[in-house]
Amino acid sequence: MLKNYLKVAWRTLTKNKTFSLLNIFGLSIAFGAAILLSMTAFFELSYDSFHKHVDTVYQIYYTEQTPKGAVASTSHPEPLAMAIKEEVPGIQNIARHLEDDALILREDIELNLDGVWVDKSFFSIFSFPVLKGDKTPIQEKSSVAITQDAAKRVFGEEEALGKTLNILVNGQEKSFKVSSILENIPENSSVEFDIAIGFQNHGSYNEIKGEWDNRNHNVYVQLDKNVLPESFENNTVAFSKQHFAEEIENAIRDGAVKDKNGNYKQLKLLPFKNTSFASFGKGVAKVDKTLTYLIFGVALLILIIACVNFTNMSIAGSTRRLKEFGMRKTLGAPKKQLFLQLWTESLIVFIVSVGLGLLLSILFLDSFKTIFNTNISFEDFSSPQIIMGFMVMLLVITFISGGYPALLMTRIGTIQALKGKLNMEKKPHLRNALITIQFGISILLISGTLVLWKQLDYMRSKNLGYNKEHVISFPLNGKKNSYEAVQLLRNELQGNPNILNVSASDNNLGRGKDGSAYRSVLGFDYKGRGIKTNMLVVDYDYIETLDLKLLKGRGFDRKFAADSLSLVINETMVKSLNEENPLSINIMMEDSVNYKVIGVLKDYHFEKLNKSIAPITLFMNKEWDMYYAYVKVAPKNISASFDLVKNAYARVEPNAPFLGSFLNENVDRTFRRERALTTMITSGSCIAIVLSCIGLFAMSLLVVTQRTKEIGIRKVIGANILSITYLLAKDFLKLVVIGFLIASPLAWWLSKSWLEDYAYRTSISIWMLLVPGVIAFFIALLTISAKTLNAALQNPTKSLRTD
Amino acid sequence: MLLQLNNIFKWVNSGGQRIFLLKDINLNVNEGEFISIMGPSGSGKSTLLNVIGMLDGFDEGEYHFLEESVHSLKEKHRANLYKEYIGFVFQSYHLLDELTVKENLEMPLLYKKFKGSERKAMVADMLDRFNIVGKKDLFPAQLSGGQQQLVGIARALISNPKLILADEPTGNLNSAQGEEIMELFKKLNEEDGVTIIQVTHSEKNAAYGSRIINLLDGRKV
Repeated sequence: MLKNYLKVAWRTLTKNKTFSLLNIFGLSIAFGAAILLSMTAFFELSYDSFHKHVDTVYQIYYTEQTPKGAVASTSHPEPLAMAIKEEVPGIQNIARHLEDDALILREDIELNLDGVWVDKSFFSIFSFPVLKGDKTPIQEKSSVAITQDAAKRVFGEEEALGKTLNILVNGQEKSFKVSSILENIPENSSVEFDIAIGFQNHGSYNEIKGEWDNRNHNVYVQLDKNVLPESFENNTVAFSKQHFAEEIENAIRDGAVKDKNGNYKQLKLLPFKNTSFASFGKGVAKVDKTLTYLIFGVALLILIIACVNFTNMSIAGSTRRLKEFGMRKTLGAPKKQLFLQLWTESLIVFIVSVGLGLLLSILFLDSFKTIFNTNISFEDFSSPQIIMGFMVMLLVITFISGGYPALLMTRIGTIQALKGKLNMEKKPHLRNALITIQFGISILLISGTLVLWKQLDYMRSKNLGYNKEHVISFPLNGKKNSYEAVQLLRNELQGNPNILNVSASDNNLGRGKDGSAYRSVLGFDYKGRGIKTNMLVVDYDYIETLDLKLLKGRGFDRKFAADSLSLVINETMVKSLNEENPLSINIMMEDSVNYKVIGVLKDYHFEKLNKSIAPITLFMNKEWDMYYAYVKVAPKNISASFDLVKNAYARVEPNAPFLGSFLNENVDRTFRRERALTTMITSGSCIAIVLSCIGLFAMSLLVVTQRTKEIGIRKVIGANILSITYLLAKDFLKLVVIGFLIASPLAWWLSKSWLEDYAYRTSISIWMLLVPGVIAFFIALLTISAKTLNAALQNPTKSLRTD
Repeated sequence: MLLQLNNIFKWVNSGGQRIFLLKDINLNVNEGEFISIMGPSGSGKSTLLNVIGMLDGFDEGEYHFLEESVHSLKEKHRANLYKEYIGFVFQSYHLLDELTVKENLEMPLLYKKFKGSERKAMVADMLDRFNIVGKKDLFPAQLSGGQQQLVGIARALISNPKLILADEPTGNLNSAQGEEIMELFKKLNEEDGVTIIQVTHSEKNAAYGSRIINLLDGRKV
């Protein structure tokens, strides 16, 4: 029997080539896309789940009340971790965690590794598997744990365990022993590092030790099994009041409003498994998995569209097979067997499509990974449970989408089937609704694409207030002192007509090739008010190098010896200080050092465009390190100049890699999320419109077969081709228009709320809503016309005879 | 007695009016009969044949087939009944286009769950009997109308039915082919004792039968 089913199925499929190919094509694309998307979503959801104690581990953060509202801070002072463990009950383990690069020096190797400076309890809280050596890493102050890959980079093929290596700490080489080799950090870990070093070894340790007002690291805590995080939070109120008394006093003085429990500073716990989904918007951690579920949603949507198409097409196709089924019935086929036969046929199409879809997803995996910036791989999804789940899901999908038409077919009476007519008494509301939704989704996605493109283009072409085209920035990642390195660089590049300026600062603009981004904020009291400003340490010529515009006063100048006590501030900072004449401002910083404002800069976008311009203050103090060099080159021969800078830096720091890039590339890199979103929505809209059209095509096919006789009669009476085409297309185009009417306001609203995240944004113009409708309308028209024109052109005697 | 129809009525409601397709039909058929049903278009010939074949229901009356009361049977039992005892032959043959001659003949046996070896033997026997061994691997579209109807009859006969119902079996054939088919029916009836009920328009074909039933507007005349 089964053999017979397969035989008939194969012959039917090969007979209706167009139908089968359309079906398999649509389903393969849908399955391919759905596989990749759901893998991404699963991967995102699996973040940090490999830690054994993940359910009892939390990240500590503080919600602080300020005059401008609540602010969250994940950075903590050095004494906090130990103090809280002693004073608040319920803690099993607590660990400080400071992320900072470690410059490794060994023989002739000089290498920057991703370092974490942590307490030894870090490895009791988190389960990073130890491959070799001490199972509880960094028990001693002078021992380090290093990952397998990093060990290979430092020691080559040599056995790394037990060897020593030197790390540059505050300009001095310190010697450490490798006591454990760790397995490489899993891709789905939000804590990443190459090397783990004892917290006390970090360069800043002596400076921050015992200080409650200097914050620079994260704290992770593992609570006792039966301790509720909420009650733990409540138990810390007295602790916070005691240790942050001064800070709280200042907040009260500046007019901060206390929270609903009457506190100015509240310790909070963020479940560690949620850290990769958390953002600290308004003082509290907001865990937002919408994007992940959105990815699932898109995957599901695409699958649904494709399956609806399949179902509609099966029904359309089955009208041609009514006679076969009538005959099978008169030969005594029970309903169950007819159902099984049709379902087998669906199953074959689905299995082929899934196979092709899998192939597609393997083919596109690499480009998918780069575009969407994920690290998925098929190995993560090869466990028996996942494969079983996948199979079950597949069966359910085929059962529904293949079973429904099969059910319809078996329900039709034998006589009616033998006559080969399918009478549709009811209006196909379900079908119409599905088509409307399909086109609504397509229009929505196209609108989204347009809005995203426009915003991306706006952000990339916006004048940021500095020269981003001709300035190269790169991290000063060698072992030389940064001021020395910059001076050597100046000497190397001197006299070259294509090199216009060389400078440096402690922060990058945009996101460089090293991928790091941070901000330093400084707070001080000015005339009895607390003021916060971004802080930037610069070298001479910084303003000239970046073509920043000075509105008042002057920049840092070698002619003035006292410039290490001078400040250059931006317009927003002037506003925040609230002074008429900015050049008369004197600011007393904490240790009674008097700084004088010497210049005012026109506001420039030193942060991403979704933030409005914040106050910034430029310092020039050789006591503070700088981390990035800037070189302005002449507009011509840009690439030659780039090589020049690269070679010069290689002579200054022979062992350090050159990670330079132009600032406009850096700015582009900050738009990675937007770009990924744009690509996702663009490809989503392409897939949606293609699948919708396949569906529409199938539907027009069905309707044309159903109305063959009507068309014939109309032609005999004298209707022309155009009017018949219009008659047939009208019903479908109406659906597209309804879809447009529903989708447009939704698109407008969604785009608007998305753009609200950007302080600097493009406007939504009416054409961005109209164009998608027009596109969808015409694509739909084209799709329908293919079949309706054909029907209208046919000789009426032929269509009338078929009855 | 093979089957008995008592006061069969069948109607449809159209525009608030009841239109009768069959009106008070009484019919007894004995085994070995060859009956021709005649009448103008729309007189209810095909409907009557479908009712006898249990493909279609009726609204009133009683139908006994081999001591079974068809009117009180569930659909599944009815299907088992006609699967077992009735073979159908159609004007437009209704062969499955995707299957070869051999496979078409095998089809009813599959639904009756015969074993593979048995099926093979029965199909080979039937191909032999109808002299179409050479055509066993051809698809219906590759045969002439007469040959297709031959296969249609072979398929109807393969499971040894007691009754063959033929709805204008020669309607799509030319006269020579039609005559051949009618001779075949006659032979089946006389030599193998198969009961046959056919619907026909042609007086000549009707004459092959042992009894003629005339219908007009759903009524026996």
